[in-house]
Order: sequence, then C-alpha cells, then structure tokens
Amino acid sequence: MPVWLFGMSIELLLSKQNRDGGWPYFRGGSWTEPTVYAVLALLSTGHEGAARRGIDWLATLQRPDGGWPPQAGVEESSWVTSLVALLPPRRVGPAAHGRAIGWLAGVRGEESTLLYRAREWLLGNRRQPEEAFPGWPWVPGTAAWVAPTAFAILALEKECRRGRAPALQARIDAGRRFLLLHMCHEGGWNHGSVRALGYESRPYPETTGLALAALRGVRSPQVELALAAGRRFLSECRSADAFNWLRLGLIAHNALPPGDEPLSKIERRSVPEASLDLVVGAALHGNDVFWEN
Amino acid sequence: MERKWTRRQLLAGPASAVLWNGCNRTRPIVPAPVSIVRAPAYDQRVYETVRRLLAEHRLDVRGRRVLLKPNLVEFEPQSFINTNPLLVHAAYEAFRAMGAAQVTIAEGPGHRRNTMDLAEAAGYCGMVKGFEDVFTDLNLDDVTRVRPARQFSRLPKLYLPDTALRADLLVSMPKMKTHHWVGATLSMKNLFGVVPGGIYGWPKNVLHWAGINECIADLHAAFPRTFAIVDGIVGMEGNGPIQGVAKYAGVLVAGRDLRAVDATCCRIMRIDPLQIGYLQLSAGATAHLVERNIRQIGESIASTATPFRLIPEFQRARLEEI
Repeated sequence: MPVWLFGMSIELLLSKQNRDGGWPYFRGGSWTEPTVYAVLALLSTGHEGAARRGIDWLATLQRPDGGWPPQAGVEESSWVTSLVALLPPRRVGPAAHGRAIGWLAGVRGEESTLLYRAREWLLGNRRQPEEAFPGWPWVPGTAAWVAPTAFAILALEKECRRGRAPALQARIDAGRRFLLLHMCHEGGWNHGSVRALGYESRPYPETTGLALAALRGVRSPQVELALAAGRRFLSECRSADAFNWLRLGLIAHNALPPGDEPLSKIERRSVPEASLDLVVGAALHGNDVFWEN
Repeated sequence: MERKWTRRQLLAGPASAVLWNGCNRTRPIVPAPVSIVRAPAYDQRVYETVRRLLAEHRLDVRGRRVLLKPNLVEFEPQSFINTNPLLVHAAYEAFRAMGAAQVTIAEGPGHRRNTMDLAEAAGYCGMVKGFEDVFTDLNLDDVTRVRPARQFSRLPKLYLPDTALRADLLVSMPKMKTHHWVGATLSMKNLFGVVPGGIYGWPKNVLHWAGINECIADLHAAFPRTFAIVDGIVGMEGNGPIQGVAKYAGVLVAGRDLRAVDATCCRIMRIDPLQIGYLQLSAGATAHLVERNIRQIGESIASTATPFRLIPEFQRARLEEI
C-alpha cells in the first residue's frame, strides 16, 4: 500500500474516534461495526491507545445473552457479535469472548430451526434445497443470509484455530455449504438470493469478496468460478468497500492478481472503508486479522 | 327517595350524549388531492413541471426541513430501477426555491451496503452539486426507537433514523414499478428505505418476517408529515422491483396523502388498488382508496392509463376496462 494512503487512513480513523471511544460510520454516534474495524486496523498498525479505548467502549455494550447490539441503546443482539468475536480474546476479556462465541453457536437462520421446519411440514410445504444447511441471520428470528454467515464463519474459524471445538467446526462446515448453495449461477454472491421467480440474480463484488474470505481453504469448481468472478469484479470495481473485500477474499485463496495496488481514484468515505485499507495492507504483509490469532 | 342531581351530573349527561353522538357518526372523507401531470422525458421541462406541481398543492415549507427520499436499489445507471436523479434534483431545487430551510436527500437501500457508491453510479453525484453534503445514508444514521401511531405488524417497535424522524416533510419519491411480492411498489413501499440496515441488515428481513404489507402500513403510520412525487416517466413492469422491464408511462403523480397517490398510480398502471394489501390495511375501510374520495388534478386517469404487465400471481389485481 502506498505510504500516503496508509497514513491517510490512520489519520482519518484517529480523527473520527468519538469521545466515548467508539467510532461512527461517517459521523454521529458510535456503532459496533465501525468500531471493531477501526480497532482491528489500529491494532494491526500498532496504535494501541486508540484501539484500547475502542475496546473499552465495546465492552460496555455486551448484552446479557452474550451478543452485541449494532449500536448503544438497541435492545437486541445481532450479527455484529461475529465482528467482536474476531478481536483477540485477551483484549475483550476471555469471559466476554466466550459468551460471544456461545451466542454465535446458538443462532441460526429461522428457516433452519426445528420449529419452522415442523410448521412447514405441517403446512405441506417442501423444504427448499438451499435451506438444507443452517447459516446465520442479520438478527435472530429471521432468515440466514450470505454476509452474516460469512462473518460468523470467520469468527468461529478463528476460534477453532485456538483449540479443538467439534461443535463449532460442524457449524462452520454447514455454514460453508450454505454459502456454496447460495452462490449465483455465474459465480460470486449477492446478499443471498440466487434467483427470483425463475430469473438468475447477479452477484455483488463486496459479498463475493467476503464469502471467498469465509471459504478459505475450500477447493472446488464452485470456488474456482467464484474466484474468476472476484478477479473480474476487481478490475472494474467502483467502491472502496467492495474493492477491499475482494482483495481479502482473493488473498485468502492466494489468488490476488500480481501487481495489485489500492486504487487511488476510489474514495474512502467511511470508517469501515478506511479501516479495511489498513487491514488489507496488513494482510499483504502476512498479518490477516481475519485469520491470524 | 328523591334524587338530587348535582350540577356536575347535570352537565355530564348531555355532554356525554353529544360526545357519544359525535363519535358514532362516520366522518365524511375530505377528498385527497392528487396531481397527474404529463412528463414526456427526463429533460429540462421536468424542473418547471415539478415547480407547478408543488404549487398546486400549496405546500408551505418556508423555514422547514424537507427530506427527499428517492428509491435507490442497484448499480445499473442505464436501467430503470432507481428514481431518476434529474427528477430528484428538480424537487430539490423547487423546495429550495419555496423557502425550505433545509432540503436534504436520504436513502437506505435494501440490498447494497455502499450507498454513496450506489448514488454515484445512479448519477446523483453528477446531478446534485455538493451531493455528499446533502445526502444521508439512512442505513447508517443514528436511530431512535419508535412505536408507530398504529401497529399493523407484530413488530411492537422500530428503530428509525433520526434524519427521517426530524424532517418536517418527508417526500417519498419512488419509481412507478410492479412488485413481485406486493403487486406494486410506490410511495408507501418506498418507506422501506427509511428502515436502517445498520440495525436490521441487508436485506431488512425483519420486515419480511413480520409481514411486508403490515410493515408498510406501520411505516406509513410512523411518518405522518409526508408528500409523494412518483417517477412514472419510465417505470418498470413485470418482475419488479429489480428484474422487470422498462415501461414508459410519461407521468408524474403527486399528493400529500400517500394512500391516494398510490391508489391513483395503481389505476394508471391498471391495477386495482383494493387488491394491494398494504393499501387496504392503511386505508382502513378502503374509503381512502375509492376514486370519488380522491380529487384528481391535471390529467385524468383515463387519459394517462398505461397497463403495466403483471406477473401471474397478481393477475387477479388487473383492472379491466376504464
């Protein structure tokens, strides 16, 4: 990554930190998601003080069920719990981290719960093929989608690499099957709708990169098709968010085209976008915060 | 024993009777004005058309905060999925000229997270000078917990973006489209875009599980200060709201009562509004949807009627002869 871009991203992150220690997406109150990205980015570049204050703010938000809400004042835990679970346990606290993992292990898309399946069976509705494996929802009580499933896999994979956990590994495997079943016909992923009323849906660059990151180590013709889609997207990308997720996804498969450079013409508008710049920079130097413990 | 009446009891009796009588009487509906104006193309004439259209409704926005809420869905500038940026710019300029203290644009797309990139690809940044300064991504705005004035879904509360809640006038600016789940997506369905993805995800699947029609009616109840300008110059028919095909109708439809505006759009599209679930719900006894309770201004429905192709699931909603 060019030095000027690296410095700009750090400067932006430090200037955007709220007084409570958290970060907004653009401006305003602190949110869990941008705060985790900022903390991951700052930890990867050695900015301990600002990162510590971010973690302290996050610690105040954990809910009694072990999950995290997207923003202070919201009374439900959500997919952002996966992001917090990506932080090093010693930073968040082992107990808090353990409860986050417990929350993730207990959550699944509503369409794969026993209650829902029993109801559908009683109604005479056939189970859809893509409902065969449980993924993760954005918020409990709703269906599973590609992005929250990919984030949960990243968090649980990191956890499994700390110690053997067969139950978590089983969820990861099922989640990866969920992703493969929700891949678009032409390769790559969108939010999770493969077709609507018989029409094939198109993939998005950002979710394609994210899903590829979650499928690290998986080799199959489907993944090859997705990698081809990812490389295609990379060359025509118009969004910093999408561009960096594509790079992370391709890095996870050692498939980043040679000569890859961050695009200076793409504007970094939000805290997650600036953070991902730094995270990708660290990953290119062998420190992938979504993978390394 | 002779009963002695106190002065309070003497007053309370007739007052109760008057109150009971008043409540028991069905209030006549004041016909909601809805404008239908011809707009043959996305060109400079749209600016004058929008100014004239807003003048017809005598909106007093002096010193008020006006929020324009277009429908931004996908990165396909050449398609007809998104509200055309020229129309939004015309409304932006018109409300500023009418003395609004602040005119902003905001949207929270349902599938794509990178809203500003989406707006740029849809042509908004090139069309509205300083777009980034006047635009808010409603998916990532700060939120407040709200209990809608009337609850139709099983969601007891909703977290809604402060920018939308603070607006003195929320102007819903949808594309005139058919919709594969609810029949038609117009100014009321466009309110889905105010529900924050930052809280509920992409897509906002909570709304689907709680009932799409019911949630649209909830949102309509949550935002009482609204106006609608529907982009019906080129709409979408068939498998909308994303995979349908362009349909030229050459009209703009506008008014304060979103139910009446949407019912009028449906009739132009040759869809029976009484068959659209969220319109039925939010209109109560459907009186607000009946044609005689809508005062059409400008063109007539008959002169602008353009049948939009419907998927088989909604053929039952097809309005036949005018």
